[in-house]
Amino acid sequence: MKRKSPTRPRKSGYLFIAPYVVLLVAIGIYPAGYVVHLALTSLTGHFTWLGNFIDSTHNSEFVPAFENIIKFLGIWLTALVVFVVSLSLMLHSLNERVGAAFRFVLYLPAALAGSASVMLWLFMLQPGKSPWGFVLSWLGYHTLGDSLAPAHLPVIFALIAFWSGAGSWIVVMHGALATIPEEVLESARLDGAGAWRTAVNIKLPLIKKWIAYMVIGAFAAGSQLFAEPQLISEATGGIANQAWSPNQLAIFLAFHYDYFNYAAAISVDLLVVAVICAAVVLLRTGLFDVGH
Amino acid sequence: MRSHANSAARPASTGQVVMYVLLTLFAAFFVVPIIWLVFEAIGVHLGLIAGNLGIWLFNSVLYSAAGAAIAITACIPAGYAIATHEFPGRRALLILTMLVMLIPTSALVLPLFLEANEVHQLTSPLAVIVPYGLFPFGVYLSYLYFHTERFSVLFQTARSDGCNEWQVFRHIAVPLSKPVAALIVFLNIVASWTNFFLPWVMYWSTNTTDRYPLPLGIALQLFSGETSGEYLGVVQLHTSWPPSAIAFLLLATIAPVVVVFILARRWIGSGHFQGVFR
Repeated sequence: MKRKSPTRPRKSGYLFIAPYVVLLVAIGIYPAGYVVHLALTSLTGHFTWLGNFIDSTHNSEFVPAFENIIKFLGIWLTALVVFVVSLSLMLHSLNERVGAAFRFVLYLPAALAGSASVMLWLFMLQPGKSPWGFVLSWLGYHTLGDSLAPAHLPVIFALIAFWSGAGSWIVVMHGALATIPEEVLESARLDGAGAWRTAVNIKLPLIKKWIAYMVIGAFAAGSQLFAEPQLISEATGGIANQAWSPNQLAIFLAFHYDYFNYAAAISVDLLVVAVICAAVVLLRTGLFDVGH
Repeated sequence: MRSHANSAARPASTGQVVMYVLLTLFAAFFVVPIIWLVFEAIGVHLGLIAGNLGIWLFNSVLYSAAGAAIAITACIPAGYAIATHEFPGRRALLILTMLVMLIPTSALVLPLFLEANEVHQLTSPLAVIVPYGLFPFGVYLSYLYFHTERFSVLFQTARSDGCNEWQVFRHIAVPLSKPVAALIVFLNIVASWTNFFLPWVMYWSTNTTDRYPLPLGIALQLFSGETSGEYLGVVQLHTSWPPSAIAFLLLATIAPVVVVFILARRWIGSGHFQGVFR
């Protein structure tokens, strides 16, 4: 593959990529450029440098929204690293059939639930309805209001995101663990390493890159949080602020006040975070085949 | 999924279309009373919501199917060309594709809203269908699939036998692409079916309830009780629906994904993708 074949076709390649490139420009590049343009100009179209970025931080909801998202990300990323890695290592030590069955169960919510997961968790958090009612009552929560107290929201959103997202990462980690050559594990066994030592000293270092990918990818995705706070807010008549997360704040400013330029500035903040994370994963982890 | 590949090879005749329409009508005649019975038993008055539910279900199917059709039409040839052709900009396109693939789709929702607003397409089905059609991960999968020595030898042989580039693609690459096409369609449909943010921004902001996809419609309509917008200390779900009815509707939004999932497991489990998911 590395040496170029002399007859490898050239020009016709453009025809085959044309439909995709049109989409990529119309749906990816153009809107990203347009939002940057809006973020850098005023309502009247004057170039304002970073004016909108600075002004948007003065909104009274700006700092709380970023505080909320940081709390949420801290809890969620910790849970992902601790539980996804340890669950994956445990599943990898089981025999293939049992491991596959467990993986399937853990992956089910990720594959199926989507936006239904938030609605489902509204019931899971409702004492008297929830199959986990005994846990809620042990925690001293007797009404939905107790469960959904504003201070609990970062944990609750992390819980929902974990339920509906951890399974995909467990599948990814399984793929990573499956690439460890059998000889490596065999020689560890011969050296007398038990299951615990093998997992911690052999397997864990070999999947470090994938853990980094998960943390960065989950950070980028989590910083965009929207559906969970939005739906909880809709369903409970406003327990979660309508501008709980930065993405919600951007939408709120755009819809309710027509502050498109401020909304664009916040959107660019989030887009920059996402692009940096994507670039780091792509160029630093070496997990993706970037062509020869 | 397979029918998509088949219909590409052999367009359905008018007679067949008429036959399917008739069969669907009869199937509806036989099944609707039973569905009514199930709904009535759990306290959902089908007559009250049938209109909206039917429209939302139709929207969901339309958005997912049209989005997947666009995605597959764009992804397969693009991945094929990046893997087997040599043209200036090829590597840059591959890197850009992977960059966009790693950016969460929600990061582009507000930009897309502003773009749709600018071109006055906010209330059009295209406002969600076209974005669903951009699927860089599918291009990457297609690229990995075609990027093998085995295939490039095959394509070279066809060329030296006198096939032109279009014939190589149409008669060799497309039939070979079935497994990866199935995977792309599956992943794309699941992603678009469960997408909440994009249709919410496009249609809620414009109050176009008859454009809602099913999951969004159910989520917003069920809880459209008298929302005061402020926290009054007493928290309860703002809905007049019995929980059994809500549970049933949530199940109904998940069910189509389950069906696609079961269909796709045949392909995904069959070893075609051992190399794709490293």
